[in-house]
Amino acid sequence: MPFYQFILKNVLQRKARSALTIIGVAIAVTAVVALVGIADGFQRSFRELYERRGVDLMVVRAGSSERLSSSIPQRVGEQIRSLPGVRDVSPGLMDVVSFEEANLTSVPLQGWAPESFLFGGLKMLSGRKLQKDDDRGVMLGMVLAKNLGKQTGDTLEIAGRSFMIVGVYESFNVFENGSAVLLLHSLQTIMDRPDQVTGFQVVLSDAPDKKVLLDRVRREIDELRSSSGQPWGIEAIPTEDYVKSTSQIRMAQAMAWTTSVIALVIGAIGVLNTMIMSVFERTWEIGILRAIGWRKSRVVRLILYESLLLSVIGAAAGILAAVALTHVLAWWPLVSGLIKGDVAPVVMIQGFFIALAVGLIGGAYPAYRGAHLLPTEALRHE
Amino acid sequence: MSDTSLLRTEQLCKTYPDGQVNALVDVSLSIRRGEFVAIMGTSGCGKSTLLNLLGALDQPTSGEVYFEGQPLSAIANLDRFRAMKIGFVFQSFFLLPTLTALENVQVPMFEGPLTGRQRIARASELLELVGMSERARHRPGQLSVGQRQRVAIARALANDPVLLLADEPTGNLDSHTATAVLDLFAHLHHDKGMTLVLVTHGQEVAQRAERSIRMRDGRICTADSVSSAKPQAATS
Repeated sequence: MPFYQFILKNVLQRKARSALTIIGVAIAVTAVVALVGIADGFQRSFRELYERRGVDLMVVRAGSSERLSSSIPQRVGEQIRSLPGVRDVSPGLMDVVSFEEANLTSVPLQGWAPESFLFGGLKMLSGRKLQKDDDRGVMLGMVLAKNLGKQTGDTLEIAGRSFMIVGVYESFNVFENGSAVLLLHSLQTIMDRPDQVTGFQVVLSDAPDKKVLLDRVRREIDELRSSSGQPWGIEAIPTEDYVKSTSQIRMAQAMAWTTSVIALVIGAIGVLNTMIMSVFERTWEIGILRAIGWRKSRVVRLILYESLLLSVIGAAAGILAAVALTHVLAWWPLVSGLIKGDVAPVVMIQGFFIALAVGLIGGAYPAYRGAHLLPTEALRHE
Repeated sequence: MSDTSLLRTEQLCKTYPDGQVNALVDVSLSIRRGEFVAIMGTSGCGKSTLLNLLGALDQPTSGEVYFEGQPLSAIANLDRFRAMKIGFVFQSFFLLPTLTALENVQVPMFEGPLTGRQRIARASELLELVGMSERARHRPGQLSVGQRQRVAIARALANDPVLLLADEPTGNLDSHTATAVLDLFAHLHHDKGMTLVLVTHGQEVAQRAERSIRMRDGRICTADSVSSAKPQAATS
């Protein structure tokens, strides 16, 4: 009989308690992998939005913590465009609306200039792209169109005004698939933000040393001034930094980790409870093992390996449940435009190692206690 | 002076701090290799405490136990000493309920040098020795009490110990089964040359030993030679 078989028998023989512990660990791991996975997917989705279009810099209001509501005069875009090394600039206005009748909240609305390079990332599934004179036109992402039950040619009421759906598109990005796109000046009108944009997406020219160019253009954008000589109060941020510092993403990650830590503490307490009960119930068994010559370290290994085995099974179940949960959530209309239906392998690995840590922490004290039982006293517990 | 005894104690005392109970008082005795000794006495006389100290399961308050001339207090790894030199048999068998008889016998062997296959072969051999090879795949719950004690004896022999210590090994058995277990001890003693120390409060059990040591109130009161087949060892 190999040592592992001894461990396996101990775990399998106490089916109900082992199953409950595995479920506890699985729930904790599901919470970690699903929540962190969703937050990570949210961040990846945002990064992809800019990187796939070659956007190097995001220009936003300096020091603004809530970037969606920050405003910059649209005419700053022309000054940016004129800087050496800048290949393209796309102004964008973004807001969120709700469609109560479809039970959809926080649907992103994008306002793009008609000539913007951003349209290039969209594949039309039906209808056409917005044109210069489509003041009352709107394009819907495929997920949003499905959730609203709308198709090309239908009308859609946005902020109390009626818009014609000119086309339904598919984007490479889940976030855009859940969005609606209007012409920039249309969105400025309905949101009462004339000549204002949320920010600019800047594409730089190719250069032998892109970082030098990026640093120079950043500096020059930060120093731009209005015709009266006043600074615009804007800042240019590399896309990677912009995505990481976006308040919604930071909040999503903070909430994911906070919830995860709570779940993990509960999971660890579950394992600790199980293993301490297991040691208490098996006091005489451990006593006999010590009496017949088992070293303390072997007793420690026995209890820790049992604890780790329960955690590993819990981790595997939890990761599978998290993957299934995120897939289900990706289909749920309320959040389907925000959640990618996949969990990054690195997040799964994180979940696995966290479960191992839970097993080690939960098994450490019982293992210590078991190993230090005096054989003569332990045998009296029979 | 050469020490020819396998086991020797010198003025062994054991006091339990809770209630200041003097479980053993100045116990000195000597047991030769190959000897079968019974320790007798009423409940609470200190015989099990003495057995625990002889088997390095507990430490004396004062005094010393010598094994093959070496003081136990000088042995750095008492776990290994117990694993390789001593076999224990208990009144309540203490077989692990989740394991089969064959697996229970292998448990002490984890501390020895045998490989997995060698452990199985050795455990099978020992179960055959105690007449339990037919029940090798049964768990303790599926065995009678007599069969459980036989498996426990096989487990005690797992690492081929020099000394077998048995604490009331027939205490939970009916007379017929007890006789069969004592026959097994006698076989181990006569045919295998095993040194046996057996704790009992039964006269008929003690009569199977070569020598019996009587205890009262933590002290040795008499030492009788029951069998003249083997020379009597010196006791104090």
